[in-house]
Amino acid sequence: MSGFFKRVFICAVGATLILPFLIVAGVSVNVESNIAFPPTELSTRWYAVLLTESDWLIPIRNSLLIAVFAAFLSVTIALAANYVLWRLKSGFGKVIFALGIGPFMLPPIIIAMGASVFWAEIGMYGRVEATVISHGVFFVTLPLVVIARGFAALSDDVIEASRTMGATAWQTFAKVIFPLVLPYVITGYALVAIISVNEYLISYMISGFAVETLPIRIFNNVRYGYTPVVASAAMGFAVLTIGVLLILSLFTDLLKLLGGAQD
Amino acid sequence: MNRPLIPHLIGLYPLVMMCLFFLGPLAFMVVVSFYERDPLGFYNVAFVWDNYAKFFSSFYYTLSMRSLWSASLGAVLVVLLAFPAMYIIVDMSRRWQLFWVILLLSLMCLSEVVIGFAWVILMSESAGIPRFLGWLGLWEDPRSLSPSFGAMLIGLVSLGFSLVALMFYPQMAGRDRSIEEAALTLGTPPARVFTKVILPNFRPAIISSTVTMFVYFLGVFVMPTMLGRPQDWNMTVIITDKAVGDANMPLGAALSVIMLVFTLLIIGTLLAASRKRGKA
Repeated sequence: MSGFFKRVFICAVGATLILPFLIVAGVSVNVESNIAFPPTELSTRWYAVLLTESDWLIPIRNSLLIAVFAAFLSVTIALAANYVLWRLKSGFGKVIFALGIGPFMLPPIIIAMGASVFWAEIGMYGRVEATVISHGVFFVTLPLVVIARGFAALSDDVIEASRTMGATAWQTFAKVIFPLVLPYVITGYALVAIISVNEYLISYMISGFAVETLPIRIFNNVRYGYTPVVASAAMGFAVLTIGVLLILSLFTDLLKLLGGAQD
Repeated sequence: MNRPLIPHLIGLYPLVMMCLFFLGPLAFMVVVSFYERDPLGFYNVAFVWDNYAKFFSSFYYTLSMRSLWSASLGAVLVVLLAFPAMYIIVDMSRRWQLFWVILLLSLMCLSEVVIGFAWVILMSESAGIPRFLGWLGLWEDPRSLSPSFGAMLIGLVSLGFSLVALMFYPQMAGRDRSIEEAALTLGTPPARVFTKVILPNFRPAIISSTVTMFVYFLGVFVMPTMLGRPQDWNMTVIITDKAVGDANMPLGAALSVIMLVFTLLIIGTLLAASRKRGKA
């Protein structure tokens, strides 16, 4: 009886989380130019609009560009912070690590507001570099935590072995540590890239009018009258996000990474 | 032994980046909150309390109360749903756990904008639930369910669900099951085991995740604007509106500083409470 109730509850939760996207998928392949479900006739015309019109291509390009560089910046900061914490164990390393956790404790609006006045003051309001740096710094928490798991998994004997064989600190890092933490670095990179592509408020407040990203484009569309192109863009997003996570799950153990049981 | 020098030098890179682009902007925001508004540009350098004085008016009082109400209601609802869901999910087979983890991770990463849009469609009269109910004959005159307070709340819950569920995951999966098993073997009904053994064990986790969600919901922008009516808008929407819409950066900064202080107080209280419990 209790088992039955559990099953009903969990299926209802799963269905509620997935249902909106099924409807969006239906809308995106409908031939009609008003939002309607169920589709009367199937067509890919909205996807064609999404991938050919510059109204949509420019935001897509902006979003991808920002994500690629912001994720790189984020991962370099996280890797350096973790290396320092691992070498020094306490004090200085811990301060840096705590600073990296900070951005996730605060509501994004506060961070976005701060970034907005900061970039305006130094004359970089509306520049794509501003969005890249802010995304890179604010999302550092994810790779920081993920890469920390990589460093925690390093065993002392490998490091000891490389040291007794005469490797310098740099050689130990490049030949031993880096390859061992690389899967975690890639996971961190992918997570920042996905979150950056999807982020709205910070990009909007830093350079919303000059650098239109895909979420900004979608939001403006929904607010001021929309066509099913938005649905196809939303589906594109969902597929991209799930796709990247599925690829990640092939070469890292996601359950273990999130702290779940291993068996 | 000059060894520690090099790690310190490497440490400068993350330190400088975080100070310059995370703490720096926050500090500068505090400075700007005392500036005067310049109707023609951004602001004039000054030291005035006007921006803070504006907060103490009936408009901002109502707004603050409304923000606190929707954020706390959303936080309680999302934890009420996510906790039992995670309790069930960790007992599933590895394959199903992976399915759920990928679903939750996808939803966590997916843009607020996309989730909000999906709900707008699901609640619209032309494509969603109202149309379905009308087709079934259960609703004579189907109308769109959004924007409304309920729609906004559903938006908040579906946004926060993945986050809070993934926060429960490690602790829930790795919990010590011996006491529950003992209780079950002694013939305690499963529902009683849940309320008497599992809930008390997870009390700190439940409290801290409720508070985290509360702070998170205070800062959402997209869900209230997309799914809520103007009378449901929270502080975040007004801050954005003042700063970007009216180009009144000093007022936006002052409101953000008030929110920052409030958030830090909450986090501080939570940390202090957990430290106290750790000692006891």
